[in-house]
Amino acid sequence: MKLIFDYTQSNTKHTPSQEKDVDLPEDLKRRSLPLCDVNEIQIIRHYTELSRKNYGIDTNFYPLGSCTMKYNPRVNEDLAKLPGFSDLHPHMPASHAQGALQVIWELEENLKEITGMDAFSLQPSAGSQCELLGVMIAKKYFAEKNQNRTKIIIPDSAHGTNPATAAMCKFQTVTIPTDDRGNMDINEFKKAIGPDVAVVMITNPNTLGLYEENLSKIKDLAKENGALMYCDGANMNALLGISKPADQGFDMMHLNLHKTFSTPHGGGGPGGGAFGVRSFLEDYLPVPRIKKENEQFVFDYNKEKSVGKLHSFYGNFGILVRALSYLKSWGSDIQKVSQIAVLNANYLFSLLKEDFDVPYDRRCAHEFVLSAKNFGEKSTINIAKRIIDYGFHAPTIYFPLIVKEALMIEPTETESKDTLDEFAKVLKTIIKELREDPELIKNAPHTTPGRLDEVKAARQLNLRWMPKES
Amino acid sequence: MNFIPHTKEDISKMLSVVGCSTLDELVSEFKPRLSELKLDSPLSEMELVSYITSLSEKNSTMKYFAGGGSYDHYIPSVINHLVSRGEFLTSYTPYQPEASQGVLQVLYEFQSFICLLTGMDVSNASLYDGASALAEAALLSSAHTKRKGVFVDDGLNPEYLKVLQTYCDGTELTITNTIDENTACVISQTPDFYGNIKNPQGLIDKAHQNNALFINCISDPTSLAILKTPGEFGADVVVGEGQAFGIPKSFGGPYLGFIAVKQFLTKKLPGRIVGMTTDNQGNEGFVLTLQAREQFIRRERATSNITTNQTLLALTATIYLALLGKSGLQNVARASYHRAHLLHEKLRKNGFDAINTNPFYNEFIVKSPKLSEKIIADLMECNIFGGIDVGDNKLLVCCTEKNSLQDIDSYISAVSK
Repeated sequence: MKLIFDYTQSNTKHTPSQEKDVDLPEDLKRRSLPLCDVNEIQIIRHYTELSRKNYGIDTNFYPLGSCTMKYNPRVNEDLAKLPGFSDLHPHMPASHAQGALQVIWELEENLKEITGMDAFSLQPSAGSQCELLGVMIAKKYFAEKNQNRTKIIIPDSAHGTNPATAAMCKFQTVTIPTDDRGNMDINEFKKAIGPDVAVVMITNPNTLGLYEENLSKIKDLAKENGALMYCDGANMNALLGISKPADQGFDMMHLNLHKTFSTPHGGGGPGGGAFGVRSFLEDYLPVPRIKKENEQFVFDYNKEKSVGKLHSFYGNFGILVRALSYLKSWGSDIQKVSQIAVLNANYLFSLLKEDFDVPYDRRCAHEFVLSAKNFGEKSTINIAKRIIDYGFHAPTIYFPLIVKEALMIEPTETESKDTLDEFAKVLKTIIKELREDPELIKNAPHTTPGRLDEVKAARQLNLRWMPKES
Repeated sequence: MNFIPHTKEDISKMLSVVGCSTLDELVSEFKPRLSELKLDSPLSEMELVSYITSLSEKNSTMKYFAGGGSYDHYIPSVINHLVSRGEFLTSYTPYQPEASQGVLQVLYEFQSFICLLTGMDVSNASLYDGASALAEAALLSSAHTKRKGVFVDDGLNPEYLKVLQTYCDGTELTITNTIDENTACVISQTPDFYGNIKNPQGLIDKAHQNNALFINCISDPTSLAILKTPGEFGADVVVGEGQAFGIPKSFGGPYLGFIAVKQFLTKKLPGRIVGMTTDNQGNEGFVLTLQAREQFIRRERATSNITTNQTLLALTATIYLALLGKSGLQNVARASYHRAHLLHEKLRKNGFDAINTNPFYNEFIVKSPKLSEKIIADLMECNIFGGIDVGDNKLLVCCTEKNSLQDIDSYISAVSK
């Protein structure tokens, strides 16, 4: 393997030569910079080659559950790169950035309509920062009411970010088990809910791909006890234009713009977070807010109750341009996204049901979870690696943690019936191979490099290149 | 516009396999059903381009002499071509390393570049932005020292301070005025918000005498090409904003937070970390490692709740650093420095007062002889964004290699009207 640091010095110059050294005291000056100047075409070849070692939605079906890997419309990339956006300095006064403020304002308005929430902040950088914001708001809200609430209720199927966020803000997490229909256990919930609970944090549909059947009862009990209802909107791709989280009883929620609204996942980010609240929590949102005054958009910093600020500037603006563009493309037809996402998931689920153990045999939402436990321990990782040999990305595996040998599959609405048929065929072939040639599966994928040793990576840490001299 | 491939026949075949007669029946469980959805009619691609372009044209872009956390450095053309490749753009967190060697190697190279530039031992694979990276560093310090005090040196970017304050309020840390046995960390930005290059040695010693960590915050990391590294000074944590490395200003985001630490803090790092390993045949390859720190395994005991990071922007920065190389980075830093010093000199000759007490890199403060609002407005008339008004008729002015000698002359002629 060749690293960028393994290339040798060339005569390439990308910048006008500036021979004159800086006039700084010696004790503040850098002594050496262990880099060399690599030729431009070599750099292009190096990173082009690396790109070819990578699966993306553009190259392969990518049914990674909980991540909503749908097609990313290319035109949205062009729009985010328009010079009026990409070359706009964030310190420009609002009067000279009216188009940018309008993008933020319009996206907020669209998201309000889709979720039923009364106000949005688009400042958070991603879903987990939204959760942090939600928990901070709850903390401040109850402190102002002089209520000492120390607990946050989270089902055991939840994303790890939910308990991690609660712990960051010094709340105690109360974990509620899942019942045999895949819902949060209502009896256990009844025992846990009380005047010491600040927030009930729910993903709906949940990470099993199932609509929470007890939601209405949970909401009533939470309200009776004065707790706030938080919706982790990671799975909003099932609900667009069908049901609004505010109508379901949630007081605050987040959306992951890179999932539902198709801003690209970029190998792990940048994402975008959108955080919505009911009106009684609006004053706690981060500053600045955006206001429309006499047909002008202005920043409003004058919010005494605000929890403060979460981002150096106004959030991941370039992502907001893409999300607004996506929403404008769909407009009032947006429910088709969720209808077909749910159809695709249920169709693929039907094709695969008989081949796997099905932990919860119900109609699913936009994704579903299978278990490979009947094929023995570690079958899921083996199946996932073998899927790569067949040219698909693997589903999410070993999550949610409550399902043994879990495979979590989210096809999204942009995949055709043919692709789903082909994927189902591949999984059926792999199951046959599992029985007939288990060694073949254990050694998958048959790529270069092949199956990588994660234990060695963690024990013999090699986290960076070191210059030869030192 | 419609991104769904299904024909009517596909839909009816699929519904019959599922055992439903209509799409509506499929989602009958999702309650309560909404009664109406007041969204505009869908736009075609052509209509969309026209509409969004019209919004972009309501913004003014200018010749920038402003930084304050967002820097107008030149972005080489190659970057956009490589970063736009769908294999990078449309992939996700490399949970399956064998299908993600490209992104993993890029992140390993990014971590290496950050370590080389900062003089630190270990870097993670990125955080959201400079401000939240600083907040994460404060949380790391508290977890390491089991203390709750955060000392902030003068000159921290005020927006970073606000974000830090928000995180501290939520996580029960306290920003304090003293360094003592309750101090988890001492935070100092250099060059600071006002451009001053500081020698952090005194503060580092004071932090270490009190068993606190020293966090160095960096706003424009092109400065690292010419400044002694924080690692060499003895910083325990370096955080900052990587936007200067080839990332568009884009009205403030998405940007690139980075964090690097000394060896002993490796397992306290938040976020993703990439490591090199081998496969079952002995071939080298890369994986996400030390995942036992992370939320999806450790849940409430994780080092941070962060999940998504800024990989595509780490790729951008990596390609930027590779393209510029040693001489390119030094050229950018020297040119930014010399342009800023030239403008500073000319402003002084035109009645502006110098304010900086320390040597500066590419940003500085001057006090205007006229009302600062007037100066800024005069410059805008000439299509120049002349700096950030920091109050009391003082301007925070910035230069990069993009500000030509001619631009500097235009600046001076606009302010001497």
